[in-house]
Amino acid sequence: MNTVRFAWVVLLSWGLLSAASAENYTPGQKVTKDYDSFAKSFLASHCVDCHGETDPEGGLSLHDLGPVDEVNASTWTSVWAQVTLKEMPPKDADQPKVVERLQFSDWIVGELTRVMRDKGGFRAHLDPNKGNFVDHDLLFGSLPDGIKLELTSSPARIWRVTPQEHITRLNELINTEPKFDPEKPGLRTHGDVVPTNHGGELKLYFGTDRIIKWQGGTVAYATSVKSVPVVLSSARAHGLKNYPDFYSVNSAEATQIMGVANDIIRYMAYGPLSIANPEQITDDPNSYKMEGDIRGLPTALVYSTKVVRPLTPVYELMKEEGVTDERLRAAVDDLFETLTFRPPSDEESDAYLEIVKQSIEKLGKKDGVVLGLSSLFLDRDALFRPELAENGEPDQHGRVMLQDWELGLAVNHALRFIKPDEELRKAIVEGRMRTRPDVKREVERMLADDSIRKPRILRFFRDYFDYDSGGYICKDSKALADTGASTRGTSHYRAMFDATASTDRLIELILQEDKDVLKQLLTTDKVVATRTDNVYFGRKRTKEEIALSVAAAKKAADEQKKKEAAELEAWKKANPGKKPPKSENQKPANVNHNVAEARLTGPKDYARVSHRSFGNGSMKPERVLATAPKGQRLGILTHPSWLVSHSDAMDNHAILRGRWIRERLLGGGIPDVPITVDAMLPDEPHNTLRERMRVTRETYCWTCHQKMDPLGLPFEMYNHAGLYRTTELDNPVDTTGEIIYSGDPALDGKVGNALEMIDKLAHSERVEQVFVRHAFRFWMGRNETISDAPVLQDAWHAYRDSGGSMKALLTSLLTSDAFLYRKVEYGRDR
Amino acid sequence: MLQGMAVGVGAAFGASLLPRQASAASSQSGSPKRIVFFMQNQGFDPATCIPTGMTSSGSLAKAKLPEPIEALEPFKERLHIINGLHGIHTSPSHSAFFGALGGYRGSDGVPPSASTIDYELSKALPQTLLPHLCIGMDSIENMRTKPTIANLSASGAGQPIFMYSNPNQLYQMLYGGISTGDIRRQHEARSGVLSQIEQMAAAKGRSLPIADQQRYGQYVQGFRDVNGLRDRLDTASDHLRKFAPAVDERYTKPEFETDWHDVLLDLGISALTSGITNTLTIGSGRGEIFGAWKGLGIEQQGHNLGHMTQHENPIWIKIRQYNSRMLVRLMESLESVPEGSGTMMDHTLIVYTSNNADKQHTNGANWPVMLLGNCDGIFKTGCFTQLDGKRPINALYTTLLQVAGQNVDRFNMDDKLAKKFDAATGPLKEVLG
Repeated sequence: MNTVRFAWVVLLSWGLLSAASAENYTPGQKVTKDYDSFAKSFLASHCVDCHGETDPEGGLSLHDLGPVDEVNASTWTSVWAQVTLKEMPPKDADQPKVVERLQFSDWIVGELTRVMRDKGGFRAHLDPNKGNFVDHDLLFGSLPDGIKLELTSSPARIWRVTPQEHITRLNELINTEPKFDPEKPGLRTHGDVVPTNHGGELKLYFGTDRIIKWQGGTVAYATSVKSVPVVLSSARAHGLKNYPDFYSVNSAEATQIMGVANDIIRYMAYGPLSIANPEQITDDPNSYKMEGDIRGLPTALVYSTKVVRPLTPVYELMKEEGVTDERLRAAVDDLFETLTFRPPSDEESDAYLEIVKQSIEKLGKKDGVVLGLSSLFLDRDALFRPELAENGEPDQHGRVMLQDWELGLAVNHALRFIKPDEELRKAIVEGRMRTRPDVKREVERMLADDSIRKPRILRFFRDYFDYDSGGYICKDSKALADTGASTRGTSHYRAMFDATASTDRLIELILQEDKDVLKQLLTTDKVVATRTDNVYFGRKRTKEEIALSVAAAKKAADEQKKKEAAELEAWKKANPGKKPPKSENQKPANVNHNVAEARLTGPKDYARVSHRSFGNGSMKPERVLATAPKGQRLGILTHPSWLVSHSDAMDNHAILRGRWIRERLLGGGIPDVPITVDAMLPDEPHNTLRERMRVTRETYCWTCHQKMDPLGLPFEMYNHAGLYRTTELDNPVDTTGEIIYSGDPALDGKVGNALEMIDKLAHSERVEQVFVRHAFRFWMGRNETISDAPVLQDAWHAYRDSGGSMKALLTSLLTSDAFLYRKVEYGRDR
Repeated sequence: MLQGMAVGVGAAFGASLLPRQASAASSQSGSPKRIVFFMQNQGFDPATCIPTGMTSSGSLAKAKLPEPIEALEPFKERLHIINGLHGIHTSPSHSAFFGALGGYRGSDGVPPSASTIDYELSKALPQTLLPHLCIGMDSIENMRTKPTIANLSASGAGQPIFMYSNPNQLYQMLYGGISTGDIRRQHEARSGVLSQIEQMAAAKGRSLPIADQQRYGQYVQGFRDVNGLRDRLDTASDHLRKFAPAVDERYTKPEFETDWHDVLLDLGISALTSGITNTLTIGSGRGEIFGAWKGLGIEQQGHNLGHMTQHENPIWIKIRQYNSRMLVRLMESLESVPEGSGTMMDHTLIVYTSNNADKQHTNGANWPVMLLGNCDGIFKTGCFTQLDGKRPINALYTTLLQVAGQNVDRFNMDDKLAKKFDAATGPLKEVLG
């Protein structure tokens, strides 16, 4: 504190600050200063010496920058990024006071928001990729004098459902998912998210639970079965993908949803009859004659007669002749609640009843009901979830607590993708979802019960770790072959999608134990594995080892030949004149010389995979819970699912990995790539990645790259398919790296490889706190601000004090002011 | 009343159209009534279109068009190849997205900061039922999972316009109203339901916080667009019958993505020839850095297509040739429809370029463009023009707006920006006849 006071006096005596020291600054409130009285002098005192008129640093002149307008907006954005990240002024220069820096940063954001309002808006500070721009030490340390926080809340908003939530909601209408089996907790269960299929597509399947015969092979099956792809989309590939203000639903999506609704309602009413002919539905598959080659057609399937799908009032309505108001309303109300998660109001119910009746009048019952009910799929609350807090008294800070259905659905959405269970529904209806203790009660209840599936938690870990994109990364065939992984057909991509499901399961197991969750995730030696993982968790052999292996195999083959020849001779001698039996001509076993495979064995387990989507080639849930080879792996960051997700067609992506570590574990921020940069590594197949990355060490590049590259290069101990290796291009691989500017001096320092680095990070308090920040963002649906410091600190303490329990962390976050309170922003700039 | 419209097209629409403020437009003979923007992604290497040896401006009469665009050889006298415009300010590396047609800075994830030229022209050209149609061609997987996407066109700041990639959906939208009997009844019933959905959606959006209104407004507007268009198309059904393409297996069972590319083009062409549309934007690659053309026998797809040189690369020769065949089909279809004293092609301009300047990783210093269409001498054609890199693509767009009757000196570039990025004011004289 003394140093701060001293600096304050010094600055005052230079007359550079016009604000009186007695004034408190509340972050988030509008900074009522202008360019001339405030920003200009900030620039003058902290920037212009190096960024002046003559020979400016980095080619950037700020001496005549002027007030924020649309022409210099991108320059001001860079200024904002650099100052907020404390990159500028450089560490060896005089630093602005904490409050001064905050005010400057907030002022720029305010100005950019105002100036860009009619030009698409300014949202950089709201982007999850820039959440780390808020100073970590201000969030978790003590605030300096002069800062007064306002009580926090989140803005009132409506939140579009994610593609995964939407398709899971729709899946509820036509598929009965299995009940939770405590004996096999890893199997797909009612309430789990719809998994992607063998190709990584997110699709809704019709009737696959009843197919008992099909013509043709795997591709024919995939083509014959009825499926619809997910309609809504997500624009992002990395990091948090679902802030409320990201998405809307456009007219083409709405049109598509109506089409899908059509298919769904028909299936709800008639089952497979809506997608097949009556003769295809029989328990005796041979009774259905498939004439000729009809592979790939919907008529190439046989369904059993056992009804498996949920039978709803829609089914009842269509089963009987005629229409009654009662049955019609029951269908409308039930469908409304499954789609919006709450019962319709009287007005809503009447309105939709009217729509269905009019359609029936025009088209008759069969088509009219389908058309009329499809309108329910486009209700605002079937596609968006409101958190508007319209009914409630604001407290003295202008905040309203969510209540009743809005609160219940918010809590439900925090954990689940399907509608509230009976108990939560009851609590809402009976007025017991109104207070913080109410929320705590329901959250704790749901967290304690494994049969209540909570896919939203896994979704956080997918968004946080980004281990789920490995199968979408196209690999160059030769580059893939060089890794030792199979290039046969799509086996690599299958392995990657299997690996995603396996990693999901591993995380679940760790969450089940609920101790030191983050540390476990980062350091576990457990692997949930398929047989193919023996290759991926294996070790790529060196050139010499491969030669030895090939030689040994040849020797064994030669000896086998000799043995067989000798046996043949002996037989001939014992059976003169007779013809010898045909030799079995055994094909040599397919030995993978390139890889020293791991031997992953252990108790049986299961992963959640999609319904049979590819006939016999469909994904299988069977797994084993094994231990990774010693000294080669440490936690999820060393699993192929994560490694490949952070690679490209030809090689590792050390920069992306380094950036991941910097942002998700160290809480650092990286400014955007400057537009003048042609961001490509040279194409030099005979140089290692580290050598090719020399271009990032140019002065201009290194300021940012030093924060990423040394953190990503330790992972060079694996090749780009995730196999462990000791050599790269036939030389010993360099796996050294360094943690710098972490913000925690105990963390900084050189590391020998990824294992050493991960171990250091896993034991760091700061890393835990950064993890908590990301959890905050995911569950609040927004970036944290300084006002959220109390919430973050409480959440972290809850995590810490409970021995690293995710449940404790979640309970703290979901009962916080940020989650419970909304502020309505009408006409105020954000 | 709008002048210069062909008899076959104009009469049915007169009453149902909104009057336009651009009544000063179209007073010249041959003045354009429609425009096509063909945006091929991953960059437009000038070596793939500039005849070998041509380094300075000159006539194409004696030149031979390079292999990638050789299909345009018979149409040479209405072709104008322009090299040396720039788009530095659009930040086009890895695609300028909305900035390509907007003439402003664009990037992945950045919302459009203003309307784009195609949208503005669709308002300035003689009005039609669905003035602006955008179609998008991509890999089949992407077209299926994301049948609409918005990357190239915008009607305003933060207001993207979606490209259609599912030809079945597009067909329903354009030609649902020319049905009869049962299908007609379906169409009417569906119209009724959609109108009610629109009302309910609007009602539920009335009390939203200001930050959500625009986003939710897009949702409501979607219904308004669909309903409004359907009403207008319904009144034009007799006329549309003559132009609606036949729906074949390519629509429902495409073998390759190019099947959909071809029928999307058919639909786009039919929208032009039937007079429904005056501005067609074709996003080949949909403005991103992906895309696939397996139907041409090209195995590689996606980002890597942008990582290879285009000049003398068999892969890119195929793609550019495919583009050229599409351009030829466009021109021949328009030529087959009489208009005024000539054909529709006489009143059409095609602008062919990329949303990614000259290559994927570029600073935008050179942004090649090909123009096809003479419009009775309004545009200079049959030539190659080498500019000095000092005028931005905005200058070309200004030219187009002026030709369409708008009294403007600049497009999406104020004087401050122009000081840095434009050496002159007003239209590109080199383009005008």
